[in-house]
Amino acid sequence: MRRLLIGLAAGAVFVAATACGSSDSSGSDDDKASGGTTTIKAGVIPIIDVAPLYLGQSKGFYSKRGIKLSLTSAQGGAAIVPGVVSGQFDFGFSNMTSLLVAQSKNMPVKAVSNGVASTGKQGADFAELAVKKGSPLKSAKDVEGKKVAANTLNNICDTSVKESVRKDGGDPSKVEFVEMPFDQMPAALANGQVDAACVVEPALATIKSQGGTSIASLFVDVSPDLTVAMYFTSQQYAQKNPETLKKFQEATAESLAYADSHPDEAREIIATYTKIPKNLLETLTLPRWLAEPNRASIERLSELGVQDGLFKKAPDLDKLLP
Amino acid sequence: MRGTNALLGAAGLAAFLALGEAVPRLGLVKDEYFPPTSRIADALATELADEAFWTALGDTLTGWAIGLTIAVTAGILAGVLISVTPYLREATASTIEFLRPIPSVALIPLAVLLFGTELRSVLLLVVYASFWQVLVQVMYGVRDVDPVAEETARSYGLGTWARVRHVLWPTALPYVMTGVRLAAAVALILAVTAELVIGAPGLGARIAVAQTSQAVPEMYALVVVTGLLGLLINVGARTVERRALAWHQSVRGEVAV
Repeated sequence: MRRLLIGLAAGAVFVAATACGSSDSSGSDDDKASGGTTTIKAGVIPIIDVAPLYLGQSKGFYSKRGIKLSLTSAQGGAAIVPGVVSGQFDFGFSNMTSLLVAQSKNMPVKAVSNGVASTGKQGADFAELAVKKGSPLKSAKDVEGKKVAANTLNNICDTSVKESVRKDGGDPSKVEFVEMPFDQMPAALANGQVDAACVVEPALATIKSQGGTSIASLFVDVSPDLTVAMYFTSQQYAQKNPETLKKFQEATAESLAYADSHPDEAREIIATYTKIPKNLLETLTLPRWLAEPNRASIERLSELGVQDGLFKKAPDLDKLLP
Repeated sequence: MRGTNALLGAAGLAAFLALGEAVPRLGLVKDEYFPPTSRIADALATELADEAFWTALGDTLTGWAIGLTIAVTAGILAGVLISVTPYLREATASTIEFLRPIPSVALIPLAVLLFGTELRSVLLLVVYASFWQVLVQVMYGVRDVDPVAEETARSYGLGTWARVRHVLWPTALPYVMTGVRLAAAVALILAVTAELVIGAPGLGARIAVAQTSQAVPEMYALVVVTGLLGLLINVGARTVERRALAWHQSVRGEVAV
């Protein structure tokens, strides 16, 4: 069902990207500014990753630059990418591989600010290849011939799992991937529907609380300080609103740096827009919120995508990245 | 009779709730994924005390009510118009049969492209799904008009409007009411689905947030709320139906028993 929807959404995006490239529902700098304030509509997913935006909003990092940040929670990239391309949102949040795929298809997306980065610590990242308590699987190589859950196929989860397996001396082509949402992975692992899962917080914390363990830190295996997700806009918006874009980038960089150095405040703000239970929230491994994306890590992600056949042609990073 | 029924109903519900409490407690299912009734009730109480919950409930009901009103109005007008105009009926029959089976949820990407995560996205899905329910019932209803009554009205010199008012409408009304009742239920399902998948504000979006947050009892509590809402809407629609059709044989018969 969800896959069908994502497929349809992707198709719709493609139509929008090719047919109505003239979509101009988002106005230019001039007609949006009223009394020196520009409203920015950002489409975000209600997950821990976007905490800096909420924190920056409450700390006034955006308002002091004349930006009124209007955050809209959407359910996953299925709504955000078409939303940004069609001008419903000015900015959106997306994982890096999805943006690379979009760029390689010449969709008019432009990454503007860093989103989240891997912690770079083996065994202590916000995303792990996890197994249930007492699993015979001990390292990435062991998932050869096993079922591994990934939230979206042909995306960042499977490329990075394959990389972990490869680095551990296994054959990544023998891994069987099963698509399921992150929140269903703890139950699927416990019931033995899958043998391992590429899982992020807070589902990872649930697995750990049930005695599950991590057998590989897949994002760290791809690249230390991997840029996992970024905020992006459409090329039309970027061209029409260079001033607003610059202010958004500055405010977001400040928010990211602040969130990274104030994890307790980040946890507090997460409790306001998610329903993560308090006891779970305290045990979460937060991602790193670096102010700038790490270009080398994105190049590595792109190479892996080419290797795994995610793109027909390699994405043009100069066009995509800020 | 009525008292016994109510008693049996309450006993059935109590047994169901007790089962929901016992199954996870006995370890037949993991309580992390299927919490016992008491924990869901706890979470429900917390939800009820939260202002954001009532805002979400309001958002869902707004989407439902506006969508249903548009669908019912459009469905009745289009249904009567198409039915009384033979040419129009011939011209639209195949188009209706083509459009009707398209699942509303398949329009989600279109809704997102057009309206993002706003209320209008929800309305698009709700109206599309419930419009057909009403339209088709109205068309059945109009087809059911007694030709003798119709001819009699004609021979008495009643004009088109008078015939619609005095012959067609009373015949079609029971069908229309069935259509409205079906549409009311479908509209709620689509409103919640749209919120769940697109993320438009409302109970559905709140369920999705609870789900991704690993807040399992809260998620079930919200699911229970949508269930209760569906129940209330159905009871309400039946009441309206009974009132509107108090003169009709089917309802009068029901009362006499």
